Amino acid sequence: MLLTSVLVTFAAAPLGLLARYLPRPPIGWILALLPLAAFAAFAAQAPAIIAGERMSQAIPWVAAMGIELRFSLDGLSLLFTLLVSGIGTLIFIYTAYYLAGDPGMGRFYVYLTVFMGSMLGLVLADNVLTLFIFWELTSVSSYLLVGYKHDYADARRGAQMGLLVTVGGGLALLVGLVLLSTAAGSYTISEIIAAGEQLRASSLYTPALLLIFLGCFTKSAQFPFHFWLPNAMQAPTPASAYLHSATMVKAGVYLLARLHPALSETPLWIYTLTSVGAITMLIGAVVANRRDDIKGLLAYSTISKLGTMVLLAGMGGPEAPAALVATILAHALYKGALFMLAGAVDHEAGTRSLSQLGGLRRLMPWTAALAILSSLSMAGVPILFGFVAKEEQLYAAVDNGLPAGLDIVVLIAVVTSAVFGVLYAWRLVSGVFFGPLGSGMKAHVHEAPAGMLVGPAVLTTLSVILPLGLLPATAALLQPAVNAIADDGVKISLYLIPSELSLPLILSMTALLIGAVLTRFEPQIAAAPSPLPLWFNGDRIYDAAINGMLQGATSFTRTLQNGKLRSYMTWAVLALVAVVMPPLVLFGFNGLVLPNLAGVGPFELVSALLIPVGVLATLRARSRLGAIIASSIVGAMIAFLFVIYSAPDLALTQLLIETLATVFLMLLFAVLPVGFERLTSDSERARDGLIAGLAGLMMAGVAFAAASNMQFASISQAFRAESRSQGFGDNVVNVILVDFRGFDTMGEIVVLFIALLGIYAMLRLRPSVEPTRDDEEAPTPPASLDGATPPEHGQQEQQETASEPWLKA
Amino acid sequence: MTLILSLVVGTLFAGGIYLMLRRSVVKLILGLVLLSHGANLLLFLMGDGLIKARPPFVKPEAGVAPPDSADPLIQALILTAIVISFGLLTFVMALAYRADQAVESDDLDAMTSTDRL
Repeated sequence: MLLTSVLVTFAAAPLGLLARYLPRPPIGWILALLPLAAFAAFAAQAPAIIAGERMSQAIPWVAAMGIELRFSLDGLSLLFTLLVSGIGTLIFIYTAYYLAGDPGMGRFYVYLTVFMGSMLGLVLADNVLTLFIFWELTSVSSYLLVGYKHDYADARRGAQMGLLVTVGGGLALLVGLVLLSTAAGSYTISEIIAAGEQLRASSLYTPALLLIFLGCFTKSAQFPFHFWLPNAMQAPTPASAYLHSATMVKAGVYLLARLHPALSETPLWIYTLTSVGAITMLIGAVVANRRDDIKGLLAYSTISKLGTMVLLAGMGGPEAPAALVATILAHALYKGALFMLAGAVDHEAGTRSLSQLGGLRRLMPWTAALAILSSLSMAGVPILFGFVAKEEQLYAAVDNGLPAGLDIVVLIAVVTSAVFGVLYAWRLVSGVFFGPLGSGMKAHVHEAPAGMLVGPAVLTTLSVILPLGLLPATAALLQPAVNAIADDGVKISLYLIPSELSLPLILSMTALLIGAVLTRFEPQIAAAPSPLPLWFNGDRIYDAAINGMLQGATSFTRTLQNGKLRSYMTWAVLALVAVVMPPLVLFGFNGLVLPNLAGVGPFELVSALLIPVGVLATLRARSRLGAIIASSIVGAMIAFLFVIYSAPDLALTQLLIETLATVFLMLLFAVLPVGFERLTSDSERARDGLIAGLAGLMMAGVAFAAASNMQFASISQAFRAESRSQGFGDNVVNVILVDFRGFDTMGEIVVLFIALLGIYAMLRLRPSVEPTRDDEEAPTPPASLDGATPPEHGQQEQQETASEPWLKA
Repeated sequence: MTLILSLVVGTLFAGGIYLMLRRSVVKLILGLVLLSHGANLLLFLMGDGLIKARPPFVKPEAGVAPPDSADPLIQALILTAIVISFGLLTFVMALAYRADQAVESDDLDAMTSTDRL
């Protein structure tokens, strides 16, 4: 059933394209049957899960590496699947009205369905790699949804930003999860959680946890990565309501809650999550009061609540897990509704700017009523579910597991954010629905179509009736989720009216009161200077990073690839020296002894010493002829060394090639201008000499270290022994070339043939405007191939066929 | 002798790289020649050791090449390398010839016009 629900959702995604052919608003109701069916299927499992059962399903994939498609359903997953499918149903209906006139609606439904499948997979996954795949899929579908209006530069930027931030964090998450699995010895999440003790003692605990935090913080828009979420508000409102408030952004919180039993209660966990969560909570709450765009306001209030959730996941204490799940539910209910209502206002009034809106309560009475109720829930006013959740938060904050000193700070932070919560809720309601009619609205504003109000109405009704009659049932539903987060024995109990006057209740009422008083000063607060320094702005840092990367790449390429061969050579040689030199010096000469020169005979000594002389003469030659002669000394001496050291084939080949090369060089230089021009300054020469000398020194070291180390047995013995029996030849070198390593020789012939084609193309294939020149160049290339053939021992035939096209030409 | 030949390899590489860092096309070609020699000699040093007067031929009476004969594998590799580097050399020479016709200069810096960013 678990696997089916995910797969069916993905398979059903193309059905969204039906929106192109079927009548517009009804299509939303039809497509909404898919999430509704998922909701019904998961709701049907609720009694079993509440009874303490746990469903699991696995399909082996790469069994040897522990990769499998493993899903399981427990209380925490159930809560999220119900949110994803339930709110999904409402969003599917809402979309048909919101995008009624948009030709791309079918595409939008496809993205939404893909997202829903990914999110279901994410919260059901019981294998870290399965989880990671769905985690990234939600980022990708979010990218598609934010960039839905891809004609707008802002939408593209918002989409790219969200993708880069969340996928970048996702990569860190992958590494973190793999480290975690290594430490736990299993890729299955339930087994990882069971290995909590062992994990916390592991040396991999700290790096794994930090990387996982990075993934969760980017996904759940925690400070300092929160900046992508407001920019993601470029998405059409249904996507903002669904992904960027109710479900996807809670994925990070979900993962923290999921891993809570295994990894929590260490100082690293507690202090990181408490500080990041509290800072995010406060920044979000403050900035929400400075936003003019109602979606921006809601985005920052979402950031604030996500911070609260991370804080609750981190701070410990008996009440925190219960407060966490209550907050997740309450936030999804009121924020989902508010986003959809903000979309309705935008849709009807044509603007989302608070300064241009106003007085809509008379024109859009139903929207106003629903928005006021949901905003009251957001503000935490009694008898709404938001109040119940806020009470839980305050209980948790009062009774937190933090050391003395910090506990007070966290409590003050929670109360402060509650105060600001009242303020931005009031700002939203008063700015949009009260006061004089706004200046920037459309001429004739009507109530939104009923279909757009269905979703908000359902969610708002839940916010109202859950506390009034269904608190025990809600608590029963949330209890298995709490069990998944905390050890057994933590009971969730939701109160509407506490039995006694407790500290949390007093704090809650105080926050409401202060918030209500502060509403008098709302304009001053909205205009107050920013709490953060100007440069510390995620948007700017992101832009600077992107631009810096592009410019850096450009100037880097421009420096390295300036079109001059010398500079390519210089960088390549220097890079080689930098990479090879340190290990060579450190390890290359270990255990080597300087050999004595006793066995050195006069012939090899003379020929070896003549080579540097030839090199030097080549370098210093004034004329081209001199340089050619000097370089052929080098070739001849090497051939002589081959003779001395038992390599007659090599000596023959070397001599022939050397002769031919000398002839060709002379032919070439006969055509080219005579004499060397002095093209470079002395300082350039000195610099190049230094580089070349360094490289030469390194190569000498490499040669000596390689020649003196025999760590592995040579395979040559087999060739010596098998030459006659297997290859039917007595010259072992030749047998290797044509038989044992025949394919290498084949490749060599191909290389020569390609060189031949290249030469042919260069010299022959061109507009024949200079007939006189053709005669001069004729001798060079054909001779080269005829000449190359003889030394190749048994390859004459192939070589000759290879040279035929040339001869014909 | 290994040490001496290692130093010889070093001078070949140093000389080759120095010439390839010059602006003249002709020096580039000469540098390539020296670099090929250096690479071949480097390979030669990596064989089973420097062995005199025992080439890797099968002894008729034994039916196998003596185990203490010179390393045949490294010779086969160098043979391939010599021929390939010769192919490369002729290619570069044709290229230089063509470039001289097109640019009418021996200066590599005169040939950068298509490669600028």
